[in-house]
Formats: sequence, structure tokens, C-alpha cells
Amino acid sequence: MRKRCLAFILVTLLLTMGIAGCGSSSEDEKNSANDGNTTVTADEDKTLRLAIGSDIVSMDAHRTTNDYLVPMNVFDTLFSIIKDENGNTEIVNSLVDSYEISEDGLKYDFRLKDGIVFSDGTPLKASDVKFTFERILTLPESAQTDFVIAIDGARELLDGKAEELTGVTVADDLNFTITLAEPFAGFLSQLAAPSTVIYSEKLVTEAGDDFGNVPEKTIGTGPYIVKEWNRGSGLVFEVNPLYWEQEPSAKRVEVSVMESQAMNMAFQKGDIDIIDCLRLDSAVVDSTYKTEAYKDRLVSVDRVGLNYFTLNEKIEPLNNVKVRHAIQLAIDRESILNSIYGGDGKLEDGIYPSGCIGYSDENQGWLKYDPEAAKDLLKKAGYADGFDMEIAVDSSANGAVNSTVEIIAQNLSDIAIKADIKTMDHASWLDLRNSGDMPSFMALWLLDINDPDNIVYTFFGSRENTVIRSNNYPDSEVISRVAAARAIVDEEERMEEYAALEKKLVEEDAVWVPMFSLKHLYVKGERVESFTPHWAGWSDVYFTGVTLK
Amino acid sequence: MAWFAKRLLGILLVLLEIMFLIFIMLRVIPGDPASVLLNEHVSPAAIEKLTVSMGLDKSLSEQFIDYLKDALRGDFGLSYYLHKNVGELIYEAFPYTARLACMAAVFAWSFGIVSGIVSVMYHDRILDYLFRGLSLLGISVPIFMVAMFLQYLIYYRLGMLPLNFNGSFVSLLLPAVALGWDSAGSVARITRSQLMEQMGEPYIDTAKAKGLYFSRAVLRHALRNAILPVITVMALQLSGMLSGAVITESIFGVPGIGRLALTAIQTRDMPLLQGTVLFSAFLIAVGNLLADLINSILDPRRGLK
Repeated sequence: MRKRCLAFILVTLLLTMGIAGCGSSSEDEKNSANDGNTTVTADEDKTLRLAIGSDIVSMDAHRTTNDYLVPMNVFDTLFSIIKDENGNTEIVNSLVDSYEISEDGLKYDFRLKDGIVFSDGTPLKASDVKFTFERILTLPESAQTDFVIAIDGARELLDGKAEELTGVTVADDLNFTITLAEPFAGFLSQLAAPSTVIYSEKLVTEAGDDFGNVPEKTIGTGPYIVKEWNRGSGLVFEVNPLYWEQEPSAKRVEVSVMESQAMNMAFQKGDIDIIDCLRLDSAVVDSTYKTEAYKDRLVSVDRVGLNYFTLNEKIEPLNNVKVRHAIQLAIDRESILNSIYGGDGKLEDGIYPSGCIGYSDENQGWLKYDPEAAKDLLKKAGYADGFDMEIAVDSSANGAVNSTVEIIAQNLSDIAIKADIKTMDHASWLDLRNSGDMPSFMALWLLDINDPDNIVYTFFGSRENTVIRSNNYPDSEVISRVAAARAIVDEEERMEEYAALEKKLVEEDAVWVPMFSLKHLYVKGERVESFTPHWAGWSDVYFTGVTLK
Repeated sequence: MAWFAKRLLGILLVLLEIMFLIFIMLRVIPGDPASVLLNEHVSPAAIEKLTVSMGLDKSLSEQFIDYLKDALRGDFGLSYYLHKNVGELIYEAFPYTARLACMAAVFAWSFGIVSGIVSVMYHDRILDYLFRGLSLLGISVPIFMVAMFLQYLIYYRLGMLPLNFNGSFVSLLLPAVALGWDSAGSVARITRSQLMEQMGEPYIDTAKAKGLYFSRAVLRHALRNAILPVITVMALQLSGMLSGAVITESIFGVPGIGRLALTAIQTRDMPLLQGTVLFSAFLIAVGNLLADLINSILDPRRGLK
């Protein structure tokens, strides 16, 4: 009998291993549930409910290149971008009240709006701007250095050769001046990107490692505050009572992490208010949402981003320009666009996608699907019998990318090129691409700022850039022209140079196969009056763009 | 006591071995944590700077010795992304996993044992076939299918329970059933087969000859002898579930250990992944030990070997 008792005790012990933890957490849960209930009842019909496919990894804009939900809604940039009905973007003041640019394009005098405070009441000061930009350059894991590298002294600070960012001088609490190392017309656009949201020196320093990780310590000047971040399950935002602009329509925003099917079910049940069609299977979008019933509820925005299929010029025989031209001609982009993306997009023949400043009509329309011509070119290049090549696919990319690559491989086999599709996980994929050894891949570049420099410099602005993007473009003269173009002060001249570079790179040198730009579709639920997505069609949205009924 | 000390030593060795293996494996597989963190805004200089700050520029042996030294002091490093001590992150995540595992276990065991008993009592009749079919489904259908089916039926069709975990007790019911589903299947099958074996023993005939009801013979006599292997399985199941249910947690958005491990893998967050794997290994080792203890106590014939 005693033994049996002992056994019973042991089983109980095993169970309590778990229950020990349950105790503390159920208390938390009670508290948060209570919190939740009071707010929900007060603002039930003013709560916006959204879904995302995977949780964010950080709330700190400097430590992410993917997750801008918090930077966009909890913080503010110096400028912001608005888009008119014709699709043209305009840079407007946000935290900045007024500014002046010197004639040589080097000196920017800014004045901040008076009276702006962070959501805990700490006033915004010009020195916070300097602090933020210095943090971007000194934080070891900073992913945003490109956004302030144009400032004079940024390079030195980044390399550890200077103690402070000399290009930013603070006159008083509101006025500051930024000096650039060389003129750069895209600079104001950079100051409008979520990458350069302004932090408070005092609050970030006080928070230490908690900044960007703990909701109460991640404080900005933006329209919302983060109330909760339950890792893996979602975030809750509430309106910032001290926000300096008009109070947004949604008083509370709940963002849940959901799998694709779950998201669809939740939207159908009315449990989420806006669904992002890019997160759904395209068959579901076609059969359910592109129908009469949802006609008035579909919201579409052109993604200012280029889908490209890139070819590595380090690898035989992709180093042969004829072979690359043949591949350009062999891929049936139109069928891919129609069959996989339901025709929701536009073929692109260059580097700058539609909607991007510098988009040139003259560089469009030259690339046509022509497998016969492609075969001829291959023959001329000495590869009449084709060759073997590899296409690397990131397994975390969505299903449409996989299908696209499959069709590309099929197209290539029509001209006797045997393309082997290699799927690998995201980290391995990045590793291989950064090493410069990835033979070919399909990817998307979504613009961070509306300037041609944002895409052309990223891929072809330096030798290092061409390696890290695995294209290994060899023409150093063109590379230095790309780098020099950002400093051309005359806007017309700069655009001409960008168009010329585009023609050279894509049409003459066939550096990649430009594929298409896509529309980004959303469906709004019955509670949503209007919804304006991000200007470039990002998946992250500004909550202020949503008006609830 | 000597037995116990030997086992504890064994556990320690296993944990050390796992620390070493996971450490090496993480550094052998492709995927550089610095590139993942920088993702699209990448440059060689930034990668180098970050690699140094993560301490990944040191030699492997140096890194491992540092890690071991810190670990012995109870410091499992800082997560690259979450900038928090790994121990603290696990401590925060474990209660969610624990609650989920306990609920799943309660469901799996009660369902499993009851259906096993019913199967035997209604041997070769319709109820037996029904439960046998169910338990077969349990062990053969993958968790994510069960999860999707439950979400569709219970949430979408019937609207009875929330779709995702939201902190409340009821929102844990669906994940618990999904997680416990296959354990329920195996418990049911073992209970049934063990009971069937006992039913052929002479003492059951004796019990019947004494005039006991059949159900009583099953419950009072056969079950007692049949339950031993079932308990062993249950203990192993529980420690398995406690060490993190990666799929269930990510489908239902439960911020537990499994979810933490998955994020760590995707982002190549080495300290965090090392920590979660070690923690899971620890739980499983302890679970095994307790299972053995329970076993030997319930069945003294086996003793502690």
C-alpha cells in the first residue's frame, strides 16, 4: 500500500512540473483578460482586428528589415509619403515643420513642429534626431545603415573612426542642420521611410535592451502605443492619447498571428476586418474574393516593387551575354503573370518598377517571349544542346514563387537548358546568396523609398553589392556610374542617367530577367468604411489609413 | 540510492553530450545568423561587424568553452533577436507549454483509457470497432491536419471555440485536443491490448466463476495488472509534450517553448536554440527517470535496475 502511495505521489509530481508553471501564468491571464474586457466593452465597435502570417521579431526599426508594423504605427518619421489617385507620390512634412535646402544640395536646415511629445509625455527634441541617426550607425546589429550613410561623417562613425555624427548639428530644441557628404536627391525620401523613425534619446537609453522588446518601454510619438506583444500570438495597440495629429478612427487594434487557412476562416466569420490576399492561396482568392459578391470590398494597390529572375555572371555559361539574352527571351512572363497571379500586375522590362520615380516608358516593351530566337542565340553562343543550371528557392517564400520557378524551369527546358530547382531554408538561402555563389534565383525588391537609387544602387552600386546579390556584374565602369548618379544635383539629368543605366544593364547586358510588378489586393470586411494601404504596397499597413464604420 | 545516483550522472552526461552536439550542429549547418538578421539591407561590412559582436568570429573551441563556462553558472546567453537572457525567455514561455501539455494529457489519458476499456468490454462489437477506428485515426493523422479540421469544425462551422489562443482557458481547448489526439490514440491501443492479454489469464476466469460481473472483473482485476505499461507510456508522453509542441503551438499561436524553438531555428538564434533544445532534453530525461521510478514502485518484481 505504501508503495502505491509513493507511486501516486510521483505521478502527481510529474503533473505538477507543469502545473507549477500554470499557477503563475493563470494569474497573468486573469489580469490581462480583465484589462482586455474593460477596454473592449468601451471600444468594441472601434476595434480594428488584423491578421499577420508570422510574428514580428523585433519592434525596433533598427533591428529589422521586415517587420515595420510597430515602427509605422508607434513612431513617426521626419517626413511622410502620400500617394494621389494617379499613383504619384509626394513627400510631405511629418515631424518636420519647415526646412530649407542649400543650393549645392548639401545642407538641410530643419525645424521640428513645436509641442510634440512621446506617448509618456517626454518632449521631442532636435537632439533626439541626432541620437537616432547615431544609433543606426553604431548599433552592431543595425540593419538600416544605408538610410543615413549619405550624411557627412556617417562613414567614419560606422567604421568606428569617429565618436559622433558630425553631419548633424543641433542648434536648439527644435532646429537642426544635416550636412551630406555629397548631394543626394533621395535623402528626403529616406527620411520618410520607417527605417528612420525618430526615437527619444532619454527613453531608449533608459530602456536599454528592453527597447524594442518590452511594449511599455517601446515608446514613440506615433498615433498608437503597443499595449501587448505576446510572442507568437500577436500584438495589441491602443490609441496614443498624446498624439499630435488627428485621432485615428480605430481606437484599438488587435493583430493576430494566423496560418493562411485560419485567416480565411476568421475573415469569413467576421473576426478579422481586413484580409491580405498575398497571404492566401491564389486559388482561394480567385474563387472566393474575385467575385461579384466582393467586388466593392476589394482594395487594390500597385506594389512598387520588381520581381526579377537574376543570373550569376560568375558562373559558366551564364557569363556569356548571349546565353543571358536567350534566357530573357525564353521565359514566358505573361503566362506566369496570368496563370499564377491571375493577371494582377504588369510586365516590367527594366530595373525601376511602375510607380517608381525614374520609371522610363522608353525602356519598356522591348522584351518579348520568343523561344525560337532564344534557341538561335544559344546556338550562336555555342550551346545548341543546352546546359545544366541551378535555381535556388527560399522555402519560406510563398507558394506563388515556387510555381513561378517551376514554369521558368519548364520554359528553359524548351530551349534545352536543364534547370535544377534547389529548395533551401531561408537562412541557408541568404548565406548562399550573400556568398555570391548562387547561380540564379527569383526574388522581389520592394522599394523602401521612392527613388531609383534605392534599387539600382542596392544591386549594382558597388562591387560588394553585386557579389552579395549573387549577380557578380563585372563592368566596373557602369558600377561607378551607378554610384555617381546619386550625386547628380540636376534632377532631369539624374533621371536621364538612370534611364541610360537601366538600358545598359538590362537590355544590353541582360543582367537579369525583369519579370513583373504586382498588385497587392486586400479585402475589407463589413465594419471597414475605407482603407488606404501603404504607398508601395507593403504588407504592413498604417492603421491610420483605416476608417471604421 | 546507488541506482539513483547512477541515473542522475547519466542524465548529466546526456545533457552535456546534447549541449555539445547542438552546438556543433548549429555551426555546421549553412545559414549565418548575422545575414539572417540583416536580411535584405545587407553589406559585407555590416555582416562582419555583427559577427564580431555576436562573438562568432572566435574559434569553435573558444566559443564552446565560453558557452560551457557561462552555462555552468546558469547563464545560457542572450538571444540575438529578443535581447533577453535565454533562461528568462524559457521561464516566460514554459507556463504556456505546461498548461497546454497538462490539458492535452488530461484529454489524451481520459479519452485513451476509457476507450481502451470500452473496447475490451464490448469486444468485437460495434463500440469496439468504433473506438479502435478512432484510435487508429489518432496515431495516423498528423497534428496539423487534426488542428485544421478542429478549427474548421469547431470554430468555423459550429462557432463554439475561439480560433487561436488568446490567453483564455477556452482558447486552449482546441490546441489541447489537437496535441493530445495522437497520444490518446496510443494510450487507447495499449490499454486495449494489455487488457485483452489479461482477459485471457486464469484469474479472470476465477473471478468470473466467483460470480463477478464482467465489468467488475475488468475494472477491478484486469485493469490493475494492465495499467503498468500504460503509465510508462503516459509519463513519456507528458515529458514529450512539456518539452514543446512546435506544430500545435505555431498553428494556434501559443507563445510556448515549441514556438520559441521554431523562431530560434528560423532566425538562426543560436543561444536561444541551444537553450530550448537543452531544456527539452532535460525534461525528457527527467520524465524517463520518473517513469522508471513509478514502474518499479508499482511492480516491485522489476526492482530498480
